[in-house]
Amino acid sequence: MKFTQKIQLLFTIWICKLCSLAGKLLLGRGSSAPGALALRLCPWILSQLAQGVKGKTIVVSGTNGKTTSNNVLYAILKAQGKKVICNNSGANMLSGIVTAYINACSIFGRVDADYACIEVDEATATHAFDSIKPDYMVITNFFRDQLDRYGEIDIIVDLLKTAVDKVPDMVLLLNGDDPICAAFSHDSAHQRFFFGIDEQIYFTAQETKESRFCTFCHHELKYKYYHYSQLGDYYCENCGFTKPPLNYPATCIFGDGYLEFTAMSHIIRANLIGYHNIYNILAALSVASLLGVDLSNINDVLSKYKPQNGRMEVFTIGGVPVILNLSKNPAGFNQVITDMHRDTRKKNLVIIINDNPPDGTDVSWLWDVDFEMWNSDAYSEFSISGIRAEDVYLRLKYAGISTDKLIYEKDIKKAIELMLSKDNEVLYVLTNYTPLVETRKIIQKKAK
Amino acid sequence: MEAMQITIAHLLPDLLNLYGDRGNVLCMKNRLIWRGIEAEIVEHPMVESFSLSDVDIVFLGGGSDAEQKIAALRLSEYEKEFREYVESDGVLLAICGGLQLIGEYYQSDDESIKGLSLVDAYTKSGDKRLVGNIVIESELPGITGSFVGFENHGGRTYIGSHAPLGRVINGYGNNGDDKFEGLVYKNIIGTYLHGPVLPKNPILADYILTKALERKYRTPIILPQLDDTAETRSHDYLINRFR
Repeated sequence: MKFTQKIQLLFTIWICKLCSLAGKLLLGRGSSAPGALALRLCPWILSQLAQGVKGKTIVVSGTNGKTTSNNVLYAILKAQGKKVICNNSGANMLSGIVTAYINACSIFGRVDADYACIEVDEATATHAFDSIKPDYMVITNFFRDQLDRYGEIDIIVDLLKTAVDKVPDMVLLLNGDDPICAAFSHDSAHQRFFFGIDEQIYFTAQETKESRFCTFCHHELKYKYYHYSQLGDYYCENCGFTKPPLNYPATCIFGDGYLEFTAMSHIIRANLIGYHNIYNILAALSVASLLGVDLSNINDVLSKYKPQNGRMEVFTIGGVPVILNLSKNPAGFNQVITDMHRDTRKKNLVIIINDNPPDGTDVSWLWDVDFEMWNSDAYSEFSISGIRAEDVYLRLKYAGISTDKLIYEKDIKKAIELMLSKDNEVLYVLTNYTPLVETRKIIQKKAK
Repeated sequence: MEAMQITIAHLLPDLLNLYGDRGNVLCMKNRLIWRGIEAEIVEHPMVESFSLSDVDIVFLGGGSDAEQKIAALRLSEYEKEFREYVESDGVLLAICGGLQLIGEYYQSDDESIKGLSLVDAYTKSGDKRLVGNIVIESELPGITGSFVGFENHGGRTYIGSHAPLGRVINGYGNNGDDKFEGLVYKNIIGTYLHGPVLPKNPILADYILTKALERKYRTPIILPQLDDTAETRSHDYLINRFR
């Protein structure tokens, strides 16, 4: 590196560290703003910093489960006493990634890390891979999400394909239960490993499947069983495409307020709700296994792992459990709806939906969610808020839920307080992306 | 008098199922049932053969590019039946990809997909996707007011001498140039509006239901008014957003 470049780098790091500190002091939180600034001051900063990682770099992408998969992996590596760079708040655009690397830098511009676990947005991956050359990449699944931003699933798959082709020696870890994921990059030189669930688990949701057609010959895929969305044990009668043999299967699955399953000859137990979290844990375990990490203490690590940032996060307010979950697309919603269906307590709900750019400005996906499952006595009342409360209300009306049960309240705080004032056995609060921080703050304050 | 009944055929729901458009079928069904009219939904997936002879409303949604190509091939087997249905005033709601499919062709950079040619419209692919909330002023005979929705299409559709469903107030419309949105021919309504379009435009939903009932029962129909507070609120929200 030239002397002037060294100065540019150091100057950028100092400015951004100050910025980061100021942000934490003034706003009480970090953000991806320092990274955005860094990219303007020093456009090549990421490739420089990424080279400083001593061990392997792992990236996690896919529609749902990125944050949990990446954070569980981070927890596993940290438990080994390793120094790990991680954008664990879910800031997965280029600016958020750069912020994570800068935070891990000394003031002399040296990266001090054994590993980097980076969650990356599907559309960002292709830019990120110009700078970061990961050793491993996890792809969790391909579901419908934010169609106005990406167009269609085909486009997302193409975007990621372009990205992975930039790093030919990267190892891919793919969800084998997802036919779109399993077909991903089948014609490239990448070494591919598959994780998945190798037995039928009880799921009831009926929903729009993302793609029921074979990627290779366009015939309809048949299923021995479904988990949810297009995930399951599938095969094509026409061309023989089938769910690949799993390198990292989960079996013997139990779950009732917790999750238990067998994988890699360990009985795994986690204080997480929701079967979709099996995939997230499994993805992390698969990477850890490939990295040669000793998994004998895995249950200690998982028992300490607290779901964060509103991923089936449980609070207690006035003795009542309040479960906060980020539900930002049909697959995510249908997962939580299935989990709620198995929860026999009498349930009240708050649903908050915005349509800011990070949420996706098109809310028509609400009509692909199985809200019909809520049309039952087990669900008492629904408080509906957020920028697009009108659309959610209308959707629930057409799901057959009596408008007597529906409350329209644009103010998020009021919408939550209203439901807290009711007689609750459990209160579920479901939000999409941009209302989450505000909602979590309101709930956290009340839980204290 | 026996209760009236309407059969809605949802064509290729396994292929043409983007953007929550199945909500339109749910909307029509509910608005019939709430008025004591029986509603039957018949889904015709890709692998099943179908007939339009006992159908009162045909619904055709949009799919991804790959799926739409398969759909075009499949539907072309029924071109004659579609033509007879449409020319006998059969009601057809075609959204987005559905609108493209009922036209003459869809021309992309590398290929031309033949449509059903039920209307003299054609579509060419454009560079930029036309995406966003949209408000149009109704051009539907006898209907004043506005329709709202969300559009998201790469194709530019030109409707020739057909009447549009509406004129663009905010948004892009068929092609971003001529201010037309959708098209109307006999009882065909084609549009790019998602949302889905019918729940938040109950006037349009009821227009379609009225046309279907009048065709089936050969008598003028005036549908009883429903409580549309929630529907109107959703509609007005988007109107106000552009103010």
